[in-house]
Amino acid sequence: MAVIIELRNVTKTYKLGDEVLNALDNISLTINQGDFVAITGVSGSGKTTLANIIGGLDRPTDGSILVDDKELSHLNDRQLSDYRNHHIGFVFQSFNLQNTQTAVENVMLPLIFSRMKARARKSRAIECLQAVGLGDRLMHRPNQLSGGQRQRVAIARALAVKPSIILADEPTGNLDSQRGEEIIKLLKDLNKEGITLIIITHDQNIARQAGRIIQIQDGKVKA
Amino acid sequence: MRFTDYITLALHNILRAKLRSALTVFAVVIGALSVTIMLTIVFSAKGFITNQFEQNGTFQQIEVSPEQSIQWGSNDNQCQGQSSDPSCVKLTESMVSGITKMAHVVGVARETQVNGFDGLFYGSKKLKLNQIVAYDTNGVVQNTMLAGRDIGPNDGNGVLTVTSDYADALGFKNNYQALVGKAVTLHAQGWYSGVGSDPIAQNNYRQTQCQSMTPGQNCEPPGTEITGKIVGVTDASGPAGGNGYTVRVSLGWARGMEENQTYQVSPMAQSVTSNYCMNVHGPCNPPQPKPTLTITDELALNGYTALIVKADTASNAAGVAKNIRNQYKVGAADAETAIKQQLAIFNIIGAILGGIGGIALVVAAVGVINTMVMSILERTREIGVMRAVGARRSTISRLFTFEASLLGLFGGVLGILIAYALTLVGNPIINHQLKGNGISSSNILSMPPWLIVSVLVGTTIIGMLAGLYPAQKAAKLNPVEALHYE
Repeated sequence: MAVIIELRNVTKTYKLGDEVLNALDNISLTINQGDFVAITGVSGSGKTTLANIIGGLDRPTDGSILVDDKELSHLNDRQLSDYRNHHIGFVFQSFNLQNTQTAVENVMLPLIFSRMKARARKSRAIECLQAVGLGDRLMHRPNQLSGGQRQRVAIARALAVKPSIILADEPTGNLDSQRGEEIIKLLKDLNKEGITLIIITHDQNIARQAGRIIQIQDGKVKA
Repeated sequence: MRFTDYITLALHNILRAKLRSALTVFAVVIGALSVTIMLTIVFSAKGFITNQFEQNGTFQQIEVSPEQSIQWGSNDNQCQGQSSDPSCVKLTESMVSGITKMAHVVGVARETQVNGFDGLFYGSKKLKLNQIVAYDTNGVVQNTMLAGRDIGPNDGNGVLTVTSDYADALGFKNNYQALVGKAVTLHAQGWYSGVGSDPIAQNNYRQTQCQSMTPGQNCEPPGTEITGKIVGVTDASGPAGGNGYTVRVSLGWARGMEENQTYQVSPMAQSVTSNYCMNVHGPCNPPQPKPTLTITDELALNGYTALIVKADTASNAAGVAKNIRNQYKVGAADAETAIKQQLAIFNIIGAILGGIGGIALVVAAVGVINTMVMSILERTREIGVMRAVGARRSTISRLFTFEASLLGLFGGVLGILIAYALTLVGNPIINHQLKGNGISSSNILSMPPWLIVSVLVGTTIIGMLAGLYPAQKAAKLNPVEALHYE
């Protein structure tokens, strides 16, 4: 499998007053295309920071990150936004859906930023919602859906732009175990279709299902 | 992001917080409404005045006066009957023919104001008569007729027009046509010596009544009454309006009214009598001198009250006025120059009133800033999501600027609509007032298209400017922090 993500000596530091905090400390790793990777670690270990840097939401203080041979740390805001729009599908623990909009409208959001025409993006949004089993909940607003259904809408939104990587940060954190398993199964199905899946989790049951586990401790890769 | 998506998203966000958006728009409406109404009133008033002059072709007119320091439109004639005053230049026939030949002059109307009349009687109604005017009927001065016809070239003595003020006072308000054809009496003061006067009776009165009076006692014979037929009613605000209560007659009749008819012993006859006994020794009984009738053309002697000169175009009027001043050393004023000076005051009033409205708009802008900042605080997480799924900083900035601009635009549109509704309500009221004053103008309150466009563009720009700071604030949000904002 080809390498899709490569981190070389990535360091991320935060300044808290006079104190300098190393969120990521000289991390180097590669992730292959189509991999299912679980990033685990205790709270504050740096796993979310790592995910944010891979997702182009944050920039490393030092080191370089290549995604599809593209050096992210050299990209300007416009290029980085386009990278997120075209390559990354984010799934968040708290879903981050817009309550005033319907499921279809929520899924269409990334397509608005990729300048897709209204009719085409609606049809794509419906397609994605059907793929996650919500074909009968298209016009429902988030507050009319269960937690599991909301996360499915969020996954449909992540799928909308046909990303090469899905970054899921504690995707089951707000769900009961049964709904959580359903969501993981859905994500695994997407991974089987060729999408690189990176799940940030502290749940070992989920981590064990991944093809590879990257454990972060004090900003470093433990194993 | 597509332009239509900016509009759709911005509208969606505005409608999301309906009450807050409505209150913000309301503040803009107040500002837009103030600016629109105040400027509409100022520009409508300005337009109305200008129209009144344009309708009568007044902008092509130059008023020539014996006085050098003439103000256009002033009836204050210091040189009336003061031909001996060196600062007053007599307006003569030769001057009229000279001006007629000047470049850009298409016509000259000679004007005179007749003195000596003090009353206009119709039936039992006795009204004060302010002035009788007369000028050539060559089309240089155009009157607005509310009924009947104007004085024509074939009219002689006994024909007159009155202003709508007179018609109203005589009880013909709203029915001017009924006054046409009616006879009125013009009352002249005791020593009036023009056409229709009785100089012999006046002479007898002087010889008898005045002689018996003690010095200092006012000796005045009974006045003279002249009858005239009303052929038309003119608009009191028009050129024949004067100070409202004015009668217009033909120039020929006015010349007659200004004549000085005297029935007196001539100085020569008096001298013959005085010298009769010079070489006579003994008793001498000289023959008593007989009074004779003398008629003096006072108008020819004193010159015209004014000349109204018509230039070929309004733009040439100022130049013609200057040429007349230079050549004849008389006063010559064109309407446009004078009106421009008067209208300048409206620009100042407009600027002040518009400024007050502008302050309201600034306050509204602060409201927009406040609303947008609040909105950004509430939507921080949403901004984070948008950034995560591919929104650029510039996209976020534009989206919020768009929202603020739309708030401004909505305020502007509502302000204009309310202002328009107010003009619809105000026009009938103003029409009624104007009609009451004999002015037949209607619907003077109108919003010029440029004002509508300016207000809409202005409020949109104000909204946009007010949105710049919040939009920048939103665009600069760190997506990671925004996503975790509680």
